[in-house]
Amino acid sequence: MIEVANLHKVFPDGTKALQDVSVSIPDGDFVAVIGLSGAGKSTFLRCLNRLVDPTGGTIAVGGSDVATLRGRALQRYRRTVGFIFQQFNLVTRLSVLDNVLSGRLGYHPTWRGMLALYSDRDYELAQAAIREVGLAGRENTRVDQLSGGQQQRVAIARAMTQEPDLILADEPMASLDPRLSDVILGLLKQYNEARGVTVLVNIHVIELAKRYARRVIAFNQGRIVFDGPVSELDHDLESTIYAGSLETL
Amino acid sequence: MWVAFALGGIAAVLIGLANGSMRRLVIGGGVALAVAYFAFPMFAADGFVSRDTVSPTLFGLAPTHPALALVLLAALVGVAAARLPPRIGGSLVALGALVTAGLTWSAQAGSPQLVHLLPLPGLMEALTGLALAAALTLLGWGSRRLRIPMLVIGVAAGVLAFGFLGGPAGHRLFPNADGYYRLTTPVGESVQTAIVAEYNANLDTINAQRTRIGLHTLPPIESVKNLDTERLPEAASSKGYRMLRPAKSRYGVWVAMLLAGVLLGSGAMLAWRPRLHGSGDLAGGILYAAVLLSLAPAFASTEFSFAKLAEGWPFLMKFLDRAWPPLWADPSYGQFGIFPLQEVASQMLITLEIALVGTFLGALFAVPLSFLAARNLTQGNALMRVVFAVTRGLFNLDRGVDTLILALIFVAAVGLGPFAGVLAMAIHSIADLGKLYSESIENVDRGPIEALEAVGASGSNVVRWSILPQVSPLFLGWTLYRFEINFRVSIVLGLVGAGGIGFFIQDKMSSGRYDQMIIAILAIVIVVNIIDFASSWLRSRLV
Repeated sequence: MIEVANLHKVFPDGTKALQDVSVSIPDGDFVAVIGLSGAGKSTFLRCLNRLVDPTGGTIAVGGSDVATLRGRALQRYRRTVGFIFQQFNLVTRLSVLDNVLSGRLGYHPTWRGMLALYSDRDYELAQAAIREVGLAGRENTRVDQLSGGQQQRVAIARAMTQEPDLILADEPMASLDPRLSDVILGLLKQYNEARGVTVLVNIHVIELAKRYARRVIAFNQGRIVFDGPVSELDHDLESTIYAGSLETL
Repeated sequence: MWVAFALGGIAAVLIGLANGSMRRLVIGGGVALAVAYFAFPMFAADGFVSRDTVSPTLFGLAPTHPALALVLLAALVGVAAARLPPRIGGSLVALGALVTAGLTWSAQAGSPQLVHLLPLPGLMEALTGLALAAALTLLGWGSRRLRIPMLVIGVAAGVLAFGFLGGPAGHRLFPNADGYYRLTTPVGESVQTAIVAEYNANLDTINAQRTRIGLHTLPPIESVKNLDTERLPEAASSKGYRMLRPAKSRYGVWVAMLLAGVLLGSGAMLAWRPRLHGSGDLAGGILYAAVLLSLAPAFASTEFSFAKLAEGWPFLMKFLDRAWPPLWADPSYGQFGIFPLQEVASQMLITLEIALVGTFLGALFAVPLSFLAARNLTQGNALMRVVFAVTRGLFNLDRGVDTLILALIFVAAVGLGPFAGVLAMAIHSIADLGKLYSESIENVDRGPIEALEAVGASGSNVVRWSILPQVSPLFLGWTLYRFEINFRVSIVLGLVGAGGIGFFIQDKMSSGRYDQMIIAILAIVIVVNIIDFASSWLRSRLV
């Protein structure tokens, strides 16, 4: 259970990215976060794993507030949250296996990580995740030898290897061929249904949100303008969500 | 002198025929002539000994040569040409150029004369202060926020510098600056008579000395005119009297004639073809002037001379003659024979090894330090920011001291030999590599760093698993690049006694064994090219 209450984020340049955002997400939900570029979707997701520090409000995960965690405690929280980036953010000079194993770094003391002393279980988890995303046999390939779609699958495997309670995906298909959207979202959906892990995906293509998500949260200018099941999204609502698009773009 | 005049004129006309802006040349020539009028030395004015000699400027000559003020007028007409109609401006400038050339020539052809120096105290001090103020102000001028503060700081620094240099402390540090700028004033009849009398009074003592060292004795003189080739009496010299000798011309004469030529050529071209002007002529002209004004004194200071080169040419030929054919080996020489090729080979190996060890040690220390000198890794807290500033500061300090200078110091500390060279090279390489490494770290892709922070990895693991894999090929590339440079440096390290092939060259050069030295030179040419080629091939394969 994630309970966000009165979340605010003002960037140092004065941009109000999030204003009074309150939302509650039960475990195992599959949520699509939609809205225009700059509406606050990305900031919202990044607040949830604290890549961005909110300037106000609380984020209760499993009952405790994570909005103010620091240092070691923050690292312990983050290892339970998988984050999938639009640009994959892999270390392209390392192998698929090395990248996927780095998902386990949060579970070991620093010195073991430095020396790459992963446990047998880490290797099993990594191999399983690589199989699950369909890259079995490519473990020792350098990531820069892979296509964009394969790289994003490596990133998903890295998140899975964390054994997360929550997966946040920030526009995971935006820099890929549109035909790959189904592959990526399919993997997330399958993982969500098989393990009951909560998934939040930022999407700007509303059709994809309708096809995969159970629930939609829509942002406009830093505020939630819609929060409800996909079935309630109609044409009028969509035009509210995308209101002001021409002026702001 | 007339060569410079002709060169300037021909260059200006050629540029004009190629449709270059003549107004730009006119402005540039005018600005340069105006600065040269106040700043460039013209003729020597000798005293008792050579350090008494001063070289007044055109402005400094004004009291004794009033007509020379027209040169300044000519220069100002050139500057004003920016605003005048091209035909009128061009004609005036050409006229002014003729006047300048004529006056410079007639002053230079004049006979020696006795002058008295009138120092302008505080002028150099004020100019230094003004230059400092202007430099600081210009530094902040581009930014709206810094403009006023930098103006205030600049003026304050300028006033402080003026006060310091003009005070007793400044005069103690820079004794030459006190009254450096001097005017030449005419000397009255009575003073001239007194100096003649003084000269004749000293003549007995001087002639006694001259006889002792076998020189002919000097006759008494009747007027100061007879002093044209003799030095002034010591007392007169110390009272500020000098013999101005226009025949001993300084580079200012050359510059004035060159600029007169340029102004004549460009002024005439502008009057003939008024369309030869463009936008930005003022800025362009000032740029031309700045280039000429910095080059002319530099050529004079470095004593550049084709005549000397021509004089030295036979020596160069003789050197080549004695260097070829190389003496590869001579087993029958002396008791044991000499084997220069073998010695070159082993010294070359040592040179290479100095570069290897120096670069390796430099890299070894530079890698950890570079992480402390990377801005993106040190913004966490105040302590880290201090560490960053200190490391960067040390790098910059170290980079300022060249390997060769460090080697001189280490030779004094640990003695002659390759060890001193290795130490110097390692220490200089730490700073150079550290700076390059840290800049590579600052340019890494932020994405992977963010991703590892997002999985809950600790700070050191983020560096280990996202930054290190990105920068390691870059580090290797910079290290190879530094090795190339270090190898070339290690060749000259031997010249200061820090081991390697440089010492062989110095030894054979000083003993005149050019036929052995040439082997080392050939070896260097070959090995430098091989290493550069191999290293750049390796670096191209790293990415």
